[in-house]
Amino acid sequence: MVNVDNLIDLENGIQSKKVFWDQEVYDQEIERIFGRSWLFLTHESQIPEPGDFFTTYMGEDPIIVARQMDGSIKAFINSCTHRGNQVCHADSGNTRSFNCSYHGWSFGIDGELAMVPLEAEVYFNKLDKAAHRLPEVTQVDNYRGFIFGCFDAEAPPLQEWLGDMAWYMDSWADTGGGAELIGTPMKTILKCNWKVPSENFIGDGYHVGWTHSAALQMIGGPLSALSGNGELPPMDDVGAQITTRHGHGFGVIWELGHAIHRDPGDYIQFQQQTLPEVIEKKGEWRGKFYTGHWNSGLFPNCSFLYGTNTFKIWHPKGPHEIEVWTWTLVQKNMSPELKREIKKQAIQTFGTAGTLESDDGENMETCTRTNRGFQTRRGTMNSSMGMDGDGRHPELPGVLGASFIGETSYRGFYRFWSEIMKADSWADIHKNDETWIDNWLGKDAVSGMAARNIA
Amino acid sequence: MADQEELAGLELAYQVEQFYNREARFMNQRQHRQWLETMVHQDIHYWLPINENRFAKDRRPEVTPEDGGIYDDNYGDLEFRISRLETGQVWMEDPPSRIRHLISNVEVYHTDDDKLLNVYSNFHVYRNRRQRDETNLIGGRVDLLVREGDSFKILKRRINLDMRVVLDKNLYFFM
Repeated sequence: MVNVDNLIDLENGIQSKKVFWDQEVYDQEIERIFGRSWLFLTHESQIPEPGDFFTTYMGEDPIIVARQMDGSIKAFINSCTHRGNQVCHADSGNTRSFNCSYHGWSFGIDGELAMVPLEAEVYFNKLDKAAHRLPEVTQVDNYRGFIFGCFDAEAPPLQEWLGDMAWYMDSWADTGGGAELIGTPMKTILKCNWKVPSENFIGDGYHVGWTHSAALQMIGGPLSALSGNGELPPMDDVGAQITTRHGHGFGVIWELGHAIHRDPGDYIQFQQQTLPEVIEKKGEWRGKFYTGHWNSGLFPNCSFLYGTNTFKIWHPKGPHEIEVWTWTLVQKNMSPELKREIKKQAIQTFGTAGTLESDDGENMETCTRTNRGFQTRRGTMNSSMGMDGDGRHPELPGVLGASFIGETSYRGFYRFWSEIMKADSWADIHKNDETWIDNWLGKDAVSGMAARNIA
Repeated sequence: MADQEELAGLELAYQVEQFYNREARFMNQRQHRQWLETMVHQDIHYWLPINENRFAKDRRPEVTPEDGGIYDDNYGDLEFRISRLETGQVWMEDPPSRIRHLISNVEVYHTDDDKLLNVYSNFHVYRNRRQRDETNLIGGRVDLLVREGDSFKILKRRINLDMRVVLDKNLYFFM
């Protein structure tokens, strides 16, 4: 077992570089994080009809997610119970059965073993077919159309797992008709550790002006001033950083939800039209979040940019490689024309050939690769930016930082990473449910944002 | 389709091949703006659809330009991408990466319109970056070329990359 306390220094916002490299860290992550967390599977809009299926991964396990005849959704392991062959090689589709290409065992859309060739002749009808169904993912649930699965029966319900993050996400996931993912995902590879993009999306407002300097300069508009960190907005009023109980978090820039789109006119109009509904249903604060730009992460490996309409999952492929899957995130009440236009712009920025996406990949790979060096790996990484400003806010749930450009959500991500890596069971984790902020920041920690009273 | 089209004569086919060789050289020498201004039509649709692995029996329609794609660019979009490269602030291109385009299997066909040619070609793009980072990407192109004097302009290009998972960190280069 890895000694997590040697890897993470919560008090100072420090992580060992080993977390991006060591095989034993990765193996423990697969077991303790990917084996016990709720993981994003797909969106219900991707499998609308009975018999529709979508194939994905949970950690490194291949998974089939399928819409049942009664409209419910099940997920099971995509591996034949006879000799382990993968039973479905399509990305998605509609089917009545999954037929193994090895010996022809056939599984229903519900994962039950329906047909075994020559069953009477070679098994003499003694094969217990019920015991050979495709193993089901222990828990599958739906947050506003986003389907998640979890292999741990002891894990809290999905709503509790998302916790305060769902309160924030409701500002757009429960308004405008709700959110959906459109199109088939783009898939690409990065030779990086899965946590590098996860931490970047969850809390890195700092890199935006520098890494993406060229694209911001070309896009123009309100964010172009950030290019090369040339002209910084007043830091105490630009946005917020938020982290929550189970490591989910985000950074938000107020009012600039649309700012990475080159031609945001119709999107701004949609937001303005729907904003009164958001304020009425969810209150003033969430109205403010609704028109902001979010860089966000759902622990462990799901990230999204609300505003830039990009939704990603980083599938781990060993400690040094990931598969990146990218969808476009829209609201259902948008017109088909607006969805089409947003999809084009979202892919143009954060798709496989994206004008911002291509800036990040190189950094993420070398943040990982440098740790091949023995001396490098003995070093540490720093995420202490704005530490003194982390704390509670009188009106907003979770822990908030002092400013949008800070590393509050990085620290929150590794706080929970450390907790779940150390815990022997969910029962251990639950012991901290009421006290996690006190234990982490002390009883009196007030967010720097609240302290300045900018609300 | 192509079988019923009239194959271009030797001289025209040669001109198209040379056009593609020049295009490849512009790409390899990072003369992107020159490529755009001399070889790309103002009304271009430059399209690289997203591949999906489907069962052979799948009855969903084939992908169309309405589905968008990894590239779904008009002239202004291409110009934007090139301008970004010209800012001098694309850190991943400093030091510059190396890129080589090999173009083959060029088939040139006449269309009903004297000015338009249907052209099929294959590409192999080799990228080499940093110390030892290399990728090989192979695919095909279906172009609609407009004849302009002795030369051509690309009015439509559909790129088919022969992979589902793009085995590279991005596709920010022209094919």
